[in-house]
Amino acid sequence: MKKDKKNSFNTPEGYFESFNGRLMDKIKEEEAKELISVIPKTDGFAVPDDYFEKVESDIISKTSRKEVKVVPLISNRNFYYTVAAIAAIFILIFSITGNPTSDPISFDDLANSEIEAYLEDTEFEMTSYELAEVVSMEEIELSDILDDDLEEVIIMEYLNENVEDFQDLNLEDIDYE
Amino acid sequence: MTLIAEETLVQELQREESRTKAFEVLVNTYKERLYWHIRRIVLDHDDTDDVLQNTFIKVYRNIHKFKGDSKLYSWMYRIATNESLTFLKQKSKKLGITDRELKDRMVENLQADVYFEGDEIQIKLQKALSSLPDKQKLVFTMKYFQEMKYKDIAEALDTSEGALKASYHLAVKKIEAYLKEN
Repeated sequence: MKKDKKNSFNTPEGYFESFNGRLMDKIKEEEAKELISVIPKTDGFAVPDDYFEKVESDIISKTSRKEVKVVPLISNRNFYYTVAAIAAIFILIFSITGNPTSDPISFDDLANSEIEAYLEDTEFEMTSYELAEVVSMEEIELSDILDDDLEEVIIMEYLNENVEDFQDLNLEDIDYE
Repeated sequence: MTLIAEETLVQELQREESRTKAFEVLVNTYKERLYWHIRRIVLDHDDTDDVLQNTFIKVYRNIHKFKGDSKLYSWMYRIATNESLTFLKQKSKKLGITDRELKDRMVENLQADVYFEGDEIQIKLQKALSSLPDKQKLVFTMKYFQEMKYKDIAEALDTSEGALKASYHLAVKKIEAYLKEN
């Protein structure tokens, strides 16, 4: 038995001499355990024949393509000079020949159909509810949005046909005075 | 590739006159390793091909930014990993499905894939892998199938070796448990 001089602990005979051998056995045992693991050693992926030869040339050809230098549309002062020169020519021509039309174009020149088409086709950022909030109803008369004034007879006919219960009309609160 | 050879290659890649030739060497040296790394993330061959090409194009365009703090090899692995994960995110977004649904679909598609020669056990392995968190799956495939050293994996994934070892052993346990149960 080997005794440590500094303390009273002992180790079995030949413990340190045989330690390396036992450690290696343990490592082999662990490795063997890994080998019989249920996890398969391969994962089954395959590649087409000659793929790696082909992909190399694909990559090289993609990177060797000269990168097209993007030239900004407004690249330098020459552009501004050209625009200014063209504008100057137009101003000169108009100042010499005068305005070809004597009457300026006004809102009245627009056909109603064009205005309606514009209103229908244009997406306004406001919904009809939002519009209703900003347009004051007190300043608007029925006649502003109708071409012809509604005759009383027509209104009565409408009410007769469409209102089943006269309570719906809330007539009680109307002050007739 | 030795460290010195890698340093020389990086210098050649960063010099305009030697760039094209050096890039050919780079592609030739790493194409297979990066292919298998990407393939184990995106599973499909054609998708892998796209991601591999994009990875090398990114490497080519960004080589001047490579400062040499890590190995060129780990730097490229990092790009390949990011490209693969981004590719999967975009794919699920495009298909309007969740990441989980995409992973399930990817494994299902393997059975009809002409470039997948695995048996039932390999399909099960892929199902087990797809149930792991991304990082655990990455560590497992890099260690188990690509036989990379923990040190290299740590550099590529920007994590400590200790954390990686823990992730790996956890992944092994989970996969074994899954394969035994199913």
